[in-house]
Amino acid sequence: MAADLKFAKSHEWLRPEAGGLVTVGISSYAVEALTDLVFMQLPAVGKKVKAGESIGEIESVKAVSDIYAPVSGEVVEVNTALPSHLETLGKDPYGDGWIVRIRPDNPHEADQLLNQAAYDALVAGQSH
Amino acid sequence: MANSVPVWWDEQAAGATNMGADEALVAEAVARGMLLVRLYGWQPAAVSLGAFQRFDDARQCSGIASLPVVRRPSGGGAIIHGSDLTYAAAVPKHHPWGSSPQRLYDAFHGAMVEALAGWKIVASLHPAAGPATPAAASAQEPFLCFDRRAVGDVVMPDRRLGREQAPPAKVMGSAQRRLEGAVLQHGSLLLTANAAASGSAQHPGIQELAGDGVEIPAIKDLVSRWLELVATSLGASVALQTGSFAGAARSEVDRLAERFGQVRWTARR
Repeated sequence: MAADLKFAKSHEWLRPEAGGLVTVGISSYAVEALTDLVFMQLPAVGKKVKAGESIGEIESVKAVSDIYAPVSGEVVEVNTALPSHLETLGKDPYGDGWIVRIRPDNPHEADQLLNQAAYDALVAGQSH
Repeated sequence: MANSVPVWWDEQAAGATNMGADEALVAEAVARGMLLVRLYGWQPAAVSLGAFQRFDDARQCSGIASLPVVRRPSGGGAIIHGSDLTYAAAVPKHHPWGSSPQRLYDAFHGAMVEALAGWKIVASLHPAAGPATPAAASAQEPFLCFDRRAVGDVVMPDRRLGREQAPPAKVMGSAQRRLEGAVLQHGSLLLTANAAASGSAQHPGIQELAGDGVEIPAIKDLVSRWLELVATSLGASVALQTGSFAGAARSEVDRLAERFGQVRWTARR
């Protein structure tokens, strides 16, 4: 897993990209917890989002969960292939399973997110 | 008492009011940091859509087209309410009972199987099927909840005359909404066939499936035993509340119900 990933407590990951963009997805822990994914709704390109605000929804056989923006900004790209290939989220959650790319309002906002070690500790705590 | 589960048994209400009350229940669960349960019925009979279902599908579904429709925040298939007992269970997401979706399902569904057995009514949990791809799973899902089967659904053999070879029928299903701070689990127990639905949209309930000569318990006795077993499986006890949750939180429920009563919400998909 890339060392430059940051995580929200709500299990989204964020990776800084060239040009000041960030790529956002959901962690492998979240994908496993959801199980049997059946449907996903993504935001429109151009949508302005605030950190902590829902940017999409994902449904498994028994539960619907929101996907939250880890930072504020504008959605500039959406992985439109994903809803038709939800298995990608399980196979490659940090690669082809990316969900959106956001242009953050504040390039330093992601600094407040969890690093890998802190996120692993959070997940370990929730698993017990 | 730390492991007490407060339960309210509310009066029947319209769909939007019920959804508003459940949203208020979620806020209350977060504020109290504990599992809360609300039981209720529906008046008038209505269809509740799962969060992702299409409103047009409800209008085109034979046998329910004239019923009022409300959209749940929880997932799953459409339910025709009126002859069922609905429950809402709300628990903070980071509570031990909220961290695993399966835990609450197992508690509520397993307890119902056990409770029914106390009246010699045979029920079981639907077993796990083989792995399916997400696309296949989505494409094959019937519109109505009681036509769907998910692992852990409560099913009963069909003891009606001439139906002995029919596959087990579903009498209880649940679905969740995992919110940022809490989990809301909705479930429906089909007590009798819903007279508000017709044709293939009408499903048999416990009353019909149990067959002749089987004593059907009074609903309050069944629910009392069920809740007791739910609590036991969670290592807790039931604290049945006097009065109704929706009644006590009337102004907040009315405020929240407004959104659920709007076409913009119900027909958003």
